[in-house]
Amino acid sequence: MTIAVSLISLVDDDQSVRESLPDLLRQFGYTVRAFAAAHAFLESDAVEQTRCLILDVAMPGMSGPDLQQELARRGLRIPIIFITAQSNETLRAKLLAQGAADFLVKPFDDTVFLEALKKALRES
Amino acid sequence: MNEINASLSIHEPVTACSGLGIAHVGAMIGGLIHRGRSLSTVLNNLCKLIDAATQGHSSSVLLFDRTHTRIRHVIGPGLPPAYNALLEGRPVNCDKWPPGAAADDKAEAIVSRLMADTLQEGTLLSLVYGLKSCRCWPIGSLSGESLGILAIYQHETNSAAPFHPALARQLTDIASIAIERTRSHEALKRSEALLAKAQRLSSTGSFCWQVATNEITSSEELHRIFEIDQAVPVTLEQMATRVHPEDVPMVRAMFERARSDGSDLDYKHRLQMPDRSVKYLRVVANAARDQDGQLEYIGAIQDVTQRRLGEQALDKLRSELAHVARVTSLSALTASIAHEVNQPLLGIITNASTCRRALAADPPDLDCARETTRRAIRDCQRASDVISRLRALFAKKSCTTELVDLNEATREVIALLTSELQRRGTTLHLDLADDLPAVKGDRVQLQQVILNLLLNAAEAMNAIDDRPRQLTISTGRDEGECECVRLSVKDAGVGLEPKDVDRLFDAFYTTKSSGMGIGLSVSRSIVECHRGRLWAQANKGPGATFSFSLPQASESTPHGGYLSASRNPALAECAVENS
Repeated sequence: MTIAVSLISLVDDDQSVRESLPDLLRQFGYTVRAFAAAHAFLESDAVEQTRCLILDVAMPGMSGPDLQQELARRGLRIPIIFITAQSNETLRAKLLAQGAADFLVKPFDDTVFLEALKKALRES
Repeated sequence: MNEINASLSIHEPVTACSGLGIAHVGAMIGGLIHRGRSLSTVLNNLCKLIDAATQGHSSSVLLFDRTHTRIRHVIGPGLPPAYNALLEGRPVNCDKWPPGAAADDKAEAIVSRLMADTLQEGTLLSLVYGLKSCRCWPIGSLSGESLGILAIYQHETNSAAPFHPALARQLTDIASIAIERTRSHEALKRSEALLAKAQRLSSTGSFCWQVATNEITSSEELHRIFEIDQAVPVTLEQMATRVHPEDVPMVRAMFERARSDGSDLDYKHRLQMPDRSVKYLRVVANAARDQDGQLEYIGAIQDVTQRRLGEQALDKLRSELAHVARVTSLSALTASIAHEVNQPLLGIITNASTCRRALAADPPDLDCARETTRRAIRDCQRASDVISRLRALFAKKSCTTELVDLNEATREVIALLTSELQRRGTTLHLDLADDLPAVKGDRVQLQQVILNLLLNAAEAMNAIDDRPRQLTISTGRDEGECECVRLSVKDAGVGLEPKDVDRLFDAFYTTKSSGMGIGLSVSRSIVECHRGRLWAQANKGPGATFSFSLPQASESTPHGGYLSASRNPALAECAVENS
């Protein structure tokens, strides 16, 4: 049961996302921690343990891409699945080129999400 | 002519001054003037009277022009028309020609014989027409102006018979009175005609209302506006029957007030004509006291229907333009709106998926199913709220008047804009005053203004990277002379170019690469329709502040009706539509 020990972290400023996605993931046995802001995540011990980061693009303060840069600067190679409510092809290409595992546009369904997650975890 | 011949009892020779019946001549001429006959007619008759009374003589009146230097017109019914015509247009200061001499000297000039060796055409012609001698007397006005010359020609060869100076003076006096009276009568008629024309052109009728007797004196144009026969004197009752039924109480109240306190009148009301068409009038009247100390009103009534219709057409255009502006800002907000809707949609889908899996588990996780269902419903509500707000802001609908809390209206707009501002990296600072008085107006229109100002402010900071993109919205009571509520949107953007300030609010003026440049123009017209004002100021630091202020809604704010709405075209439109 390697999956059970995998910590998935979610950073999203939207409360309904922070409530709903972790519950879905827990149904599949993942351990999930949710953060409302990039700084909260960076300052927590979750940074060291996270096997996959579900990251919102647009957030007040430090944005998702900013956090990606910061993790790269710290030499932390955590697979990142970006989630965003605004479809943007340019941004998608840029983030994938910077190493993102996936780029999902809200709303997405659970199977797409789980596929992306499994793929990201395999690659890590 | 009959009236003249009938009274002619003057057959005495010209020297018999007492027999000329000068009193009759005066009475005849006076009668003609009184009846408003033209100057030519009056003078023509004067000459005929003189000719008839002085056998063997023909008289003429030479009228000067306004500069008193030329003969403008010659009236001499007993003289050859060609001879009279020849004199017209001649200078009067001719020193040799008798009429000129008369005018120059302002004294009687007598020439006993018109000399054959004189080269003047007038003199030659005098001979050709058999005119042997001429006596001339200047006709002067009471103020001493030279009006013209009275010339009496003799057909006989005998030297000029002595003409009694008193008779000559009486004749020139009659001519003088005839000219002056007729001219002033004509001037009066001209000025009356001018006034009537001016009233017609400006669709303004005038009236005088004797309050005690209810007597109305009115101009032609007033008859025309009220469509009352010119021959029938206007009465208050008659005017009242034309007043639009909905405006009757207001007009009645105005008249009652005028009657009781003698205050000046200035109001607008409508007329309903017999063919059911509607006219819009503006009435202005000043109270005065007549010579008996009785209260009277002197005023003007202007038919402003055309202007009103123009305003209504303009308001319609303006509201269509406002709609275009809304749709334009809608497209600017598309990404943000997608964000606002997609967030709760993700919540709904994820919660529903989780719920399905919780129910499919063995045993079913009912607590989880209940919780996720609750959240899915909540997220549906959230998405639906976004749609309602959008619909409220962007749907095309007629305006409504209600009490609006600007703070609340602002918060609703911000709810739609948050992600847009976030996307642009703008931080928003709210400084909304506590217990802000409400304003009266159209909530959606006012929110449109707030939205435009916020979008403009965010746009102005797009290219700013060296300082925080700080945007501040503040509300408060305006410290001005009126009891107003103010809302300001302050940005730290590129600021205002002095050359742009004057044109900022012009339609289709824009400094931006995108956009049609109608946002600020529409915003200003909306604010002005709410009797407020919208202005821009450069900040002390970087950026600009756009503010608008609106009058506070008070208990005494009039409700509906043409009277109050007339000050506010946009609201007037509503009042008319809703009625």
